[in-house]
Amino acid sequence: MKIGVFVCHCGSNIAATVDCAAVAKAALEYPDVVYAQDTMYTCSEPGQQSIVDAVKEHGLDGVVVASCSPRMHEPTFRRTVERAGLNRYMFEMANIREHVSWIGRDKEANTNKAAELVRLAVEKLRRNAPLYAKQFDVTKRVLVIGGGIAGIQAALDAAEGGIEVVMVERESTIGGKMAKLDKTFPTIDCSSCVLAPKMVDVAQNPNITLYAHSEVESISGFVGNFTVKIRKRATFVDWTKCTGCGTCTEKCPTKNVPDAFNENISFCRAINIPFPQAIPKKATINPDYCRKIKEGKCGVCAKVCPTGAIVYDMVDEIVEEKVGAIIAATGYDLADWKVIKEYGGGAYPDVITSLQYERMMSASGPTAGHIHRPSDGMEPKNIVFIQCVCSRDPALGRPYCSGFCCMYTAKQAIMTKDHLPDTEAFVFYMDIRAPGKMYDEFTRRAQEDYGVQYIRGRVSAIQPTIRPDGKVGYIVRGADTLLGKQVEVDADMVVLAVGVEASKGASHLAETLRISYDHFGFFVESHVKLRPVETNTAGVYLAGVCQGPKDIPASVAQGSAAAAKVMALFAKPKLENDPQISVVDIKRCVDCGKCIKVCPYQAIEEVELRGGIKKAHVIETVCQGCGVCTATCPQGAIQLSHFTDNQILAEVNALCLS
Amino acid sequence: MSVLKGKELRIVGFLCNWCSYGGADTAGTARATQPTDLRIIRVPCSGRVNPLFVLKALMNGADGVLVSGCHPRDCHYSAGNFYARRRLELLKEFLPVIGIDPRRFEYTWVSASEGPRWKSVVTNFTARVHELGPAPKWEDVPARYDMPEDLVNPIRPLGCGAHPSLPELKEAIKAALADGLEGVLGWKQGFDAIHAEPVFMTTPEEVDSLIWGPFNVQNLAVQLPLYKGRKIGVVVKGCDSKGVVELMAEELISRDDVKIFGMGCNGTVNVSRILAKLPEGARIDGCTCKGSKITVLSGGESYEMTMNEVAQDKCRICTKPNAVLSDVFCGTPTTEPEEPEDGRSPALRFLDSLSLEERMGFWKGQMERCIACHACRGACPMCVCRDHCVSDSRNPEWVTQEDTVQQKLFFQLIHAQHLAGRCTGCYECERACPMDIPVFALKQQFGRTIKKIFSYGAGLDPKGTPPLLTYKVDEPTIKEHDLA
Repeated sequence: MKIGVFVCHCGSNIAATVDCAAVAKAALEYPDVVYAQDTMYTCSEPGQQSIVDAVKEHGLDGVVVASCSPRMHEPTFRRTVERAGLNRYMFEMANIREHVSWIGRDKEANTNKAAELVRLAVEKLRRNAPLYAKQFDVTKRVLVIGGGIAGIQAALDAAEGGIEVVMVERESTIGGKMAKLDKTFPTIDCSSCVLAPKMVDVAQNPNITLYAHSEVESISGFVGNFTVKIRKRATFVDWTKCTGCGTCTEKCPTKNVPDAFNENISFCRAINIPFPQAIPKKATINPDYCRKIKEGKCGVCAKVCPTGAIVYDMVDEIVEEKVGAIIAATGYDLADWKVIKEYGGGAYPDVITSLQYERMMSASGPTAGHIHRPSDGMEPKNIVFIQCVCSRDPALGRPYCSGFCCMYTAKQAIMTKDHLPDTEAFVFYMDIRAPGKMYDEFTRRAQEDYGVQYIRGRVSAIQPTIRPDGKVGYIVRGADTLLGKQVEVDADMVVLAVGVEASKGASHLAETLRISYDHFGFFVESHVKLRPVETNTAGVYLAGVCQGPKDIPASVAQGSAAAAKVMALFAKPKLENDPQISVVDIKRCVDCGKCIKVCPYQAIEEVELRGGIKKAHVIETVCQGCGVCTATCPQGAIQLSHFTDNQILAEVNALCLS
Repeated sequence: MSVLKGKELRIVGFLCNWCSYGGADTAGTARATQPTDLRIIRVPCSGRVNPLFVLKALMNGADGVLVSGCHPRDCHYSAGNFYARRRLELLKEFLPVIGIDPRRFEYTWVSASEGPRWKSVVTNFTARVHELGPAPKWEDVPARYDMPEDLVNPIRPLGCGAHPSLPELKEAIKAALADGLEGVLGWKQGFDAIHAEPVFMTTPEEVDSLIWGPFNVQNLAVQLPLYKGRKIGVVVKGCDSKGVVELMAEELISRDDVKIFGMGCNGTVNVSRILAKLPEGARIDGCTCKGSKITVLSGGESYEMTMNEVAQDKCRICTKPNAVLSDVFCGTPTTEPEEPEDGRSPALRFLDSLSLEERMGFWKGQMERCIACHACRGACPMCVCRDHCVSDSRNPEWVTQEDTVQQKLFFQLIHAQHLAGRCTGCYECERACPMDIPVFALKQQFGRTIKKIFSYGAGLDPKGTPPLLTYKVDEPTIKEHDLA
């Protein structure tokens, strides 16, 4: 083998603390190295050309570049060696910048270390083999999990691009959290006026198949070829017959069902359509409350249904869909604020969440848009808004900012003034975070035009009192850190801006999707800055709050971005796999099955050869190249290409035996 | 090139590409000054790190080895680090038995964004290794050849007399053969009265040659994978049955294919101990067993000994004298004693009493005697690789042809590592060793950690899963090693 070594100065980034010429000279002593040089900028056009020229002039079979991190420029130099006529895997990098020149001050030690890392790369390269990608077909359909605004946007964009979309929504209607909002900031425009047309588009787009009241049961396969099992939870109503006329909900005698759509501040019937604009607008029976299902008595809805759509013995159904990509847009839930005992822990009826307040202000909500406090129906004269409830609170294990609470609190304060001009609104805040377009102006409008009183400080306690007129009041005690004194507000009602957390079951879904999630359950993107919608699992993308707190414009943007990523993926006629995957040496394999057990991707199967001999076999397009199997196989029969036992052993021996 | 003498020590790092390698890059980008000793080997995932790489580095003289991967739950490959955590934790606990200071090896988690954390991991680990100083070299450590022959008092009475239910067992086997079983593995007398040898019984005459008693030392489970897919039977002692069960748990044989015949065992002998009581090179002319007394005839003399004097070490602490799983069990089961307080093999007990450097010396002495015959491997029922052992291979080349203590010991480390969580404690490796090298201690070192961490004993549940082939997302029994 003939190896060429190129030691990069990276201007002074490396050369300042590493003697690059000495490293190149040392490299010439290593086995199979026939050429070595140091260059100013190896990644520059002339730098790359010098590699191409050297390969041709010296007949090199492999190239080592000692420069920056392979996470930075490995793809660049692989293309370079390919241009020079070599296989792209006949290349190794020694990271002498991030791991040497930038972290060590001692030039002698750095130079020595750099030379050793080059030796490591040479020893590995000597055992490299050309690798070739396989091509495979793509199913040009995408699964969108979650029908909130992010998922809706992704689905509509993808469908617009001619891609078939399968949307799965856990609730019986799409719309997500945005459907519960009365108005949106910073324009105070009607939320459902913006959202509803998009929801209708989802229902009417011929490219979109919607499974509402359904959940993803399992996912197998790989990018381009996923098989998804979807559990259609029993609705007890035949949706092909249901017209959404609502007669059943009017007649249902069970009236004590907490209305989840209204954040449990009102009751609905056991058979219900969540809201007038629901998509699909179909009734669903709640089996926990339905008398017919629980006790076998009643059956009113079946009697009144004009289309005979009621099916009391309906069971869950599993359907299978084939897709080539997946967009997770599962949104969020509000954190459980009741752990905060200072705010009453849920015991005070007039301490409510902002989402409950939003339902109260909505014209289609339980109070038809009138603000009445829950305990006695009184119109509140003093309302206190408390921000950062379960956000930015390391003591509760929630150090992160929920991002959009500052803005919706300002919105709700403004709307309060619109609804009840004589009512005073107080906002306790930590910092006002309003970095979006027209956002800061909006919070200023709340303060300056609407007279909302902003108090910078946290609330230490809410204490209920009985006022002289016999009514309940709430003394809100807090600090005003700008004035440096304690303040008390006698409130009729307190609205908590409760922070967001990952949607319930997010971690379970992450494991089903084989994507990473952080300590808080938010899905982890591929790269915080440069790959914000991709995940580390090829073909799985993220949109909306499931990746981290964000507001509607950002969720919409990410939904579109995810759809664009899917369209780019599907734009290729065939996909290529990464050939750095495991390969079974069938001469060594004894079919003990250990690799099959440990593979995180079910990428290894048992195959029967002629004569009934069984062996392990790697499904090339499923294997992701983690190497868990290679570290497990006792015979060393399954080897991860490009990271074989012998390659790593050569590196170990190069370090320890030389 | 090597480390800078006097300044640096040899520290090898294995970093996963996605998190820790990125974390090291982040530290570099932030110009976070670090000690220069560490040399990083990039691997795709901490799950790719075979613990044997770490052992290879340490056996080759590395002064420290560091493995770093993604934080649990953050693995790029979703589960690689969960496997790594189990393997590496076991490895860390294993190291002292071969005389390597476990502080020379560490594994931890650093994400791609945690540059400062990476800096402190490197700084702290390098400082720790420098505090320990250069690792002792195998060449420099004095070999030692001593090991006290301390016989443990049996925790139950051992016997060697004729088993009253042997005729019943033979009838059961004959019936099973008549019923269509292809054959049954058992023992018959070998080349003399104190040696048994395996027999594959297919005829009633062969069944009549079956013996049961103190000389049935071989674990016949070792033969079963060769008959995979065929309907056969096997006669087992309690210890053998664990091998059969473990093979089933690993689906290397099928429960439906194997009929298990068991009888209560009263202990077996260590033939070396009998021979030690006779003149060197003596021929065995006969042997009678009664109660717990063995009388060996040789050269016209008769030599009397008791089971307590000559029984195998494993029998002295055996709590499973009856098959843990059987289809036919003849006679009354032997009473099963409570778990002994000290279940260590004599060698492990001795090793525990030595300093780290003395333990290196111990293995150096033992391995100088090793003739690399691999009888230990051949006798092991869980060595499933058969003719494809990595120690015979050049690709991968874990062991070279060099006849050195390090290479021979490395084979033992491979064997022990491959058996971690799978070894049923049958001692066959040690019994089969013609040089009487106590290699079982290495497996037991893994075994006791596995019991401690995973409350798992191999060979007890045919539906069990060896702990290294699975993981838990949260491992309450594994303490995080925070170097930062």
